[in-house]
Amino acid sequence: MARDRNSDMDYRGPVRRVLVAVLALVLGLLFLVWRIDSPRVERFRNAFIDRVVPSMDWAMAPVTQLAGMIDSFQAYTRIYEQNQELRRELQQMKAWKEAAVQLEQQNAKLLAQNQVRLDPKLTSVSGVVMADSGSPFRQSVLLNVGARDGIVDGWAAMDGLGLVGRISGVAQNSARLLLLTDASSRIPVTIQPSGQKAMLSGDNSAAPPLEFLESPEQVRPDDRVISSGDGGVFPAGILVGTVVQTKDKRFRVRLAADYDRLDFVRVLRSHPSEQIGGAGALIAPPGQPPERGLTYQLPQAAEGGGDG
Amino acid sequence: MVDPRTASRLAFQSLFLFLVLLILFLRLLPLSMLPDPWPLPAAMVAHMPDWLYPLSWPGPDFLLCLTIVWVLRRPDFMPVLVVAAVFLLEDLLTMRPPGLWALIVLIGTEFLRKRENATRDLPFAWEWLMAAAVMGGMVLVYRFTHALFIIPQVTFGPAALQLLATVAVYPLVALALQVAFGLRRAAPGEIDVFGQRL
Repeated sequence: MARDRNSDMDYRGPVRRVLVAVLALVLGLLFLVWRIDSPRVERFRNAFIDRVVPSMDWAMAPVTQLAGMIDSFQAYTRIYEQNQELRRELQQMKAWKEAAVQLEQQNAKLLAQNQVRLDPKLTSVSGVVMADSGSPFRQSVLLNVGARDGIVDGWAAMDGLGLVGRISGVAQNSARLLLLTDASSRIPVTIQPSGQKAMLSGDNSAAPPLEFLESPEQVRPDDRVISSGDGGVFPAGILVGTVVQTKDKRFRVRLAADYDRLDFVRVLRSHPSEQIGGAGALIAPPGQPPERGLTYQLPQAAEGGGDG
Repeated sequence: MVDPRTASRLAFQSLFLFLVLLILFLRLLPLSMLPDPWPLPAAMVAHMPDWLYPLSWPGPDFLLCLTIVWVLRRPDFMPVLVVAAVFLLEDLLTMRPPGLWALIVLIGTEFLRKRENATRDLPFAWEWLMAAAVMGGMVLVYRFTHALFIIPQVTFGPAALQLLATVAVYPLVALALQVAFGLRRAAPGEIDVFGQRL
């Protein structure tokens, strides 16, 4: 039998070597193709994940539920402290509520005076978090909404309170949401009340740092951080979090969104901001057709010229 | 009638696949989106040096550890096709450059597989050292390739922490597999119950 096995080995050795070589070649080629034509391979990856992960949903949902229940049960054990804490917070909230009611009235008055029409396009699609990124170095989640629901790359997503991240990668039934904590996430923000502009760049930690601050001395801990909309990609005015200062005097942002329990998120439909292409053209006098070759960048001006 | 050796090999291969899928499943569970906290008391974390502060604890790479333990103990129960498929799946799921880490793990495990027979009579410490060296080399090659192809990559600190954690957890994984499933190193010249050399 030993001889038998040996002859078996003699036969299998070279075949195995060829197999290893072919496998290595295929994997290397796949990597090279990815490096050369990344979008195509990323689309393939999205489609693959779209196929694989939702089929694991039946197993994931109960386990996630169970973990949530264990979490809640642990919370019962410190219910007294929690109660005290909640009472304190409620007291503070009452004061805030008073302030909010006054501001709301003031705001309603001002809006009525201005006759401001709020942008009706700013609507959202809600989605459920299906899966984690699966890697300690990637902070992203998979949502159960995708191209089918009209999701587009680059849209912002928030939970009930604050910004969570932006869409990066859309498949038919799922989309990947890159969290603000990911090392490749960069969001332009404004710090209020000082109005300082900065860049919120994730670094795999729970509180991403603020970079490119012009005058850090104007920034105080507990200042509010909101998205600034600079660059025209990201909607402005969404709450991101509050400033904290670390021991090494750097500013970081404590995120307002509850990253610990992220289940439902709202993806904001954002539309590209209108670009003003030219300086505008001459408005032709009434009765005369506008000279040919003139391009009218502003539709209102063109209509005014034609009708009037 | 299935040959008992084939049956046991199939059993161990499916056990490996089951453990791999379990690990991937647990990692994909959407439990908390916060980076993992340090497995240390809060007082110690608060007094950590500043350069360590933003680093979250990456935790060990159990998939790599499991594969290396398996290859160093029972290489005949681990076809090369399975290694490639498992790590390519991990590459695709965890948003890594597809194929690169799978290729590196393939080369690393082939390297260890060749030396498994020669190192059977060495003590466990040597096995551990060899595994650690190979894992370190794999991480270095991975990072070097990223730099060469100008792909954004994790900073050195977290990657080194993960490597350390993986090396530290190696004996535990080996022990657990030995106790639970009887996956142990073959002694030099050992034969199995069917009279064949392992």
